[in-house]
Amino acid sequence: MSGYAADTAASRGLALCHVCFKLSPVEQHICPRCGEHLHLRTPDSVQRAAALLITAAILYIPANVLPIMYTEQLGNTIPSTIMGGVILLWHHKSYPIAAVIFIASVMVPMGKLFSVGYLLWSVRAGRTSSKQQRTTLYRMTEFVGRWSMIDVFVVSILVALIHLSGVIVIRPGAAAVSFAGVVIITMIAAEAFDPRLIWDAGEDADE
Amino acid sequence: MHTACLDCDLLIDLPRLEEGQRAKCPRCGYILATRPHDGFRRALAYALAGLVFLALANSFPFLSFEQSGLANVMTLPQTAMSLYAGGFTGLALLVGGFIVLVPAVMMIMLVAMLVPVVNGRHAHYLKPFARWLYRMGPWSMVEVYLIGVIVSLVKIMALATVHLGFSFWAYAAFTVCFIATISVLDRVALWDRIEELSA
Repeated sequence: MSGYAADTAASRGLALCHVCFKLSPVEQHICPRCGEHLHLRTPDSVQRAAALLITAAILYIPANVLPIMYTEQLGNTIPSTIMGGVILLWHHKSYPIAAVIFIASVMVPMGKLFSVGYLLWSVRAGRTSSKQQRTTLYRMTEFVGRWSMIDVFVVSILVALIHLSGVIVIRPGAAAVSFAGVVIITMIAAEAFDPRLIWDAGEDADE
Repeated sequence: MHTACLDCDLLIDLPRLEEGQRAKCPRCGYILATRPHDGFRRALAYALAGLVFLALANSFPFLSFEQSGLANVMTLPQTAMSLYAGGFTGLALLVGGFIVLVPAVMMIMLVAMLVPVVNGRHAHYLKPFARWLYRMGPWSMVEVYLIGVIVSLVKIMALATVHLGFSFWAYAAFTVCFIATISVLDRVALWDRIEELSA
């Protein structure tokens, strides 16, 4: 096997099963322990992750422009967007909650789009430096992904709880769907990216 | 036993771990394996307790809301049902899946797997269940939902009175059990044991 560093499993033609973590020769094609397909590297990792990333970036626009919920109070219907909600909480001096929503709904999804984008670019460009830092960035991206669902859950709870016909009713808005889509698609994009590609680039002078 | 690092593919000769030890990749720091004390038995106990709490969480009022003398009570399943009633069927399925269905199926599969595993017996469904368990892992959002509830409470407190129901506490207890189950169950150890039992 050429093209892989000498101390890797891939250089000996061995593949780690990503389901049951058993190391087997890749020419067996199927993991003898759990039956999963064996690959030295996730197939089409960069292309799949990039396609999902672009999809998520497009969906992020309606998620922010459209209302995530409507408040019907005494005959008036007030739509609110994600950022609108953060600003309102800030004005009501609920700083910690405004910060939680801002981090989970704005910073984390944006950060994920940028970090997966950067990881893909760095692998394509064959960068050899800061492998450890990029691996850490990947792990953080994978870890925080689910936390962005907070805002969707908050909308679901408000819709279920605040329902007094004729007085106050909260209804879900289309942005809740787009936003859930952004969260799910970026989670799949992070999973599609194979961090071993970071380590496949040649040795760096400072490592 | 030879293994490779999942994150950087370094070939590693992994020694047998003592209880309480964990193995890290020397190159990138990925945690290769852990060996919690009596992991399988404890995971089984936490999963059983978790299932009891989840059943309770679905059976009583979750939160109640009061304004101008009127009141509304919501249950845990209504988190998803109200989205369905609002015309968002797909989103309702996702939310219901993330907060109740996926974690419930994971815990049921775990109990079904760990009962024979702890007793040293083989069961024909061990492999498919283990595969599904880890495939479902990222789609369980129990702790995210719990934080979502707390954020919602703070949002509403300004405009009305909110009471925490019995189900809220049951779901909080379920969250603790769920996290405990996953943290004492080592994936590599479980698969090694399944391989031993099916040999």
